[in-house]
Amino acid sequence: MTDFTQIDLPPRSPHPDRAAWEQAVAEATGSTPDKLIWQTPEGIDVAPLYSAQDLDGLDHLRTYPGLPPYLRGPYPTMYVNQPWTIRQYAGFSTAEDSNAFYRRNLAQGQKGLSIAFDLATHRGYDSDHPRVAGDVGMAGVAIDSILDMRVLFDGIPLDTMSVSMTMNGAVLPVMALYIVAAEEQGVPPEKLAGTIQNDILKEFMVRNTYIYPPAPSMRIIGDIFAYTSQNMPKFNSISISGYHMQEAGATADLELAYTLADGVEYIRAGIGRRPGRRCVRAAAVVLLGDRDELLHGGRQAAGRAIAVEQARRAVRPAEPEVAVAAHALADLGLVPDRPGRVQQRDPHLRRGDGRDTRPHAEPAHERAGRGARAADRLLCPHRAQHAAVPAAGVRHHERHRPVGRLVLHRAAHPAAGRARVGAHHRGRGARRDGQGDRGRHPEVAHRGSGGPHPGPHRLRAAGGHRGQQIPAAVTGGHRRAQGRQRRGARRAAGQAGEAEGRPRPGRRRSRAGRVRTAARDGNGNLLDLAVKAARVHATVGEISQALEQVYGRHKADIRSISGVYRQEMGDHNAQVETVQHSVAQFEEREGRRPRILVAKMGQDGHDRGQKVIATAFADLGFDVDIGPLFQTPAEVARQAVENDVDIVGASSLAAGHLTLVPQLRQSLTDLGRPDILVVVGGVIPPGDFEALREAGAAAIFPPGTVIAEAAEGLLDQLNS
Amino acid sequence: MWLARAITLVESRKHAHRALASELLTTLMPDTGKADRIGLTGVPGVGKSTFIDQFGMNLTAEGHKVAVLAVDPSSSRTGGAILGDKTRMERLSVDPNAFIGPSPASGSLGGVARATREAILLCEAAGFDVVIVETVGVGQSETTVSEMVDIFVVLMLAGAGDELQGIKRGVLEIADLITVNKADGDNVKRARLAAADYRRAIHLMTPASPNWTPPVLTCSALTNDGLPKIWEQIVAHREKLTATGERAQRRQRQQIGWMWSLIGDRLLDEFRASGGVRAQLEQTEASVLAGDLPPAVAADRLLATFLGG
Repeated sequence: MTDFTQIDLPPRSPHPDRAAWEQAVAEATGSTPDKLIWQTPEGIDVAPLYSAQDLDGLDHLRTYPGLPPYLRGPYPTMYVNQPWTIRQYAGFSTAEDSNAFYRRNLAQGQKGLSIAFDLATHRGYDSDHPRVAGDVGMAGVAIDSILDMRVLFDGIPLDTMSVSMTMNGAVLPVMALYIVAAEEQGVPPEKLAGTIQNDILKEFMVRNTYIYPPAPSMRIIGDIFAYTSQNMPKFNSISISGYHMQEAGATADLELAYTLADGVEYIRAGIGRRPGRRCVRAAAVVLLGDRDELLHGGRQAAGRAIAVEQARRAVRPAEPEVAVAAHALADLGLVPDRPGRVQQRDPHLRRGDGRDTRPHAEPAHERAGRGARAADRLLCPHRAQHAAVPAAGVRHHERHRPVGRLVLHRAAHPAAGRARVGAHHRGRGARRDGQGDRGRHPEVAHRGSGGPHPGPHRLRAAGGHRGQQIPAAVTGGHRRAQGRQRRGARRAAGQAGEAEGRPRPGRRRSRAGRVRTAARDGNGNLLDLAVKAARVHATVGEISQALEQVYGRHKADIRSISGVYRQEMGDHNAQVETVQHSVAQFEEREGRRPRILVAKMGQDGHDRGQKVIATAFADLGFDVDIGPLFQTPAEVARQAVENDVDIVGASSLAAGHLTLVPQLRQSLTDLGRPDILVVVGGVIPPGDFEALREAGAAAIFPPGTVIAEAAEGLLDQLNS
Repeated sequence: MWLARAITLVESRKHAHRALASELLTTLMPDTGKADRIGLTGVPGVGKSTFIDQFGMNLTAEGHKVAVLAVDPSSSRTGGAILGDKTRMERLSVDPNAFIGPSPASGSLGGVARATREAILLCEAAGFDVVIVETVGVGQSETTVSEMVDIFVVLMLAGAGDELQGIKRGVLEIADLITVNKADGDNVKRARLAAADYRRAIHLMTPASPNWTPPVLTCSALTNDGLPKIWEQIVAHREKLTATGERAQRRQRQQIGWMWSLIGDRLLDEFRASGGVRAQLEQTEASVLAGDLPPAVAADRLLATFLGG
């Protein structure tokens, strides 16, 4: 048997040199390494090989984790001595189902909760509001009042459980209900740990789950900062969520730039709003969207460094005595006199290479969730346990950190544009210019749909190649109906229980009235008042309505860009020409082009699909009407009839289609136009296809649909 | 909702549809002419949609029925178009006593104008007593719209610096009422100053009617401040010019103008459709393009072919 210890290793020199490697590449591929450079969508060149010379001239090569400028992570030991928190973003239709689900997961090793609320709750409507018939219990749990919140957290100890809540629009009542639910468990706010998303600026840009205009929305955030910094020292009062922008089509550099710029705005909102100068805890999330893992790490590191600098600049002029510790990616903490203090959450990154890691799975259903948790449990032991930041020092990673920084400077132009959005909370500009940044995303979104993954002509799921962003939605109508009944019964019981010392409706109204007065007069703390209202059973809808009476509901401008699709498809694409030919036939016969209304029904604000479809159909020769967000089926039908369209395309990304499509069909019939075709696109589970066809859908376009083929099919139906 | 379909019919480019449309309009003629026809223009960003939304809501609250039509030559293009403007009048678009017409999708300004004139008649026949025709200030569209309405309203902004810079003098000449929008919050004072400037400018011009000096107002579509006053002025304009007979004369003039523009459009259509012209057109255009043939000579030849054939 060979004794391996006796075998000589190859001599240390002479080293083969780079030229020899290039020669080898040429022999293997018939090409030079230059030809193998891959360019990211942000325009960064990724070379096939990095060597020592690539590090020449780079700064910040010798840094340490947990120490400024935090390029190697915010914690000195990162995850060497502790695992990250495993939690799955989830919420089922009803508080009962969600509670049962959370408890099962906790029993299976999940370490925290991440709550998805339904769209009605997000937009500040109670479950019985007529606008939200199709949205209740969709894509999350429906919460009306403390009676539901009590059930949601039943048996879950809020003093030890970290709770993350994705909530932006109705953030005041939901925070208030969480605080009151804890109170009822005997847990004071000081002990509450977790995160509220509370990132309203990105809602105005991409996700549209806002309620009020930008200026009052920023005031709400300031009030939450003030309240949490005083009463909830362990709670992250904001989580700046860049990843929605990438999902809506932004490139990684744009995503980071906007995330950081939003962070600066939030710091400004927080300045001067911290009684006792306590720390406001903040977190940030970006999407693991880079196709290159190490490049992503470089971006994160650059982002952290820039975040520190930006935060310092934003805070210093106002409060020069405050030391800023902003260490995680856009993790903008204001810490008095304690530099080095760190808070961070960075969920999506979990590859165990020592970056900020915290998984946060967003599966479409429970089984996938189980898979995500299992993967986390598998990865956890393999996390870089014995080294704080193993990727640091890897040349590729280091090389791209400064490059990432350069790219960021380039992307800083849109970031500078954010300064305009800064006017949001500074007066009149707010009302009218709340749309400041919507302009750039549509174009990026269209281009994005033509990115390397699905091909330019295919529809992408909401979450792009990462799969849909819709959490644990249950589409079964009967369960939702059940849920409505249960909540209704709870509310009725709660209101009938006055004799037993339960709060009287009059008190509910007067407490909600105080929220309204504080909003109108600009004094008082809105969260504090919302908590008081929540205690006497005021509902999400009542508190939101009180604010809406003062602030109004924000209306987004719809902008779309034409020509992008045609550009992506090329000029003489056979498929496109076939469609254009059919359009010409239609026009010959009807005296006008085919006309389609691309509508958004329900409270789901994901409008990228709508925009992609609109621009593609316009480029194919259709006349396209774009409907506003958040319409009811009756409103869509009216617009369709008034505009005399041939087709209504309903974009559904939040599971409301089984309710909304039949209602739309009915409304069209009621208005005397049953002949208008209804087609449905978006995230439609194949199991729903048959029900939708029976409900009168002429065609269904799930992700992966080839747009030109879809258009051709519609023209066939119209021409026949 | 026959109104929308009727508007589609009058917009149709198909020959057979034209005959049907004429028949329809002739039938409906006795029911037309009863609305206040209001033209409205202003640069992008002036707040037209917000204005119409609020103004229209005020009127429907008083029992009026309001129709809104748009003349937007920027949508005249050969491909498909994205038409999203309606979404900006969110309250009015769901008001049962309002109708927001479909944005005309295509065609030349002349074609759009013809369709809009006919759409006004259709709206009147459908019982709408206020018809608002809006247009962005592009090309000749303001003049075109002013020639199909009873009163032409121009929305202005209190801009920084020279208030009249960039405002087309021609627009002021055809305005019957000017209002400076967004006069709210800390902008009230600037809006009043701007209004004073416009008032001075108006006084330097010869008024279109000896009986009507265009009033210059301020308003805020956002807060509804000043919008009732604008309606009062529109009513005053109607009453005064009805009394003097000018309103009827204006409509008669418009009818004549419309007739001539129809003749022009129709002749041009016939010209393009004529077999002889079509046979020569490509070659003649190429010659003009190459510089081999003076345009005047080319026109003479084509016209001779048309008239001879």
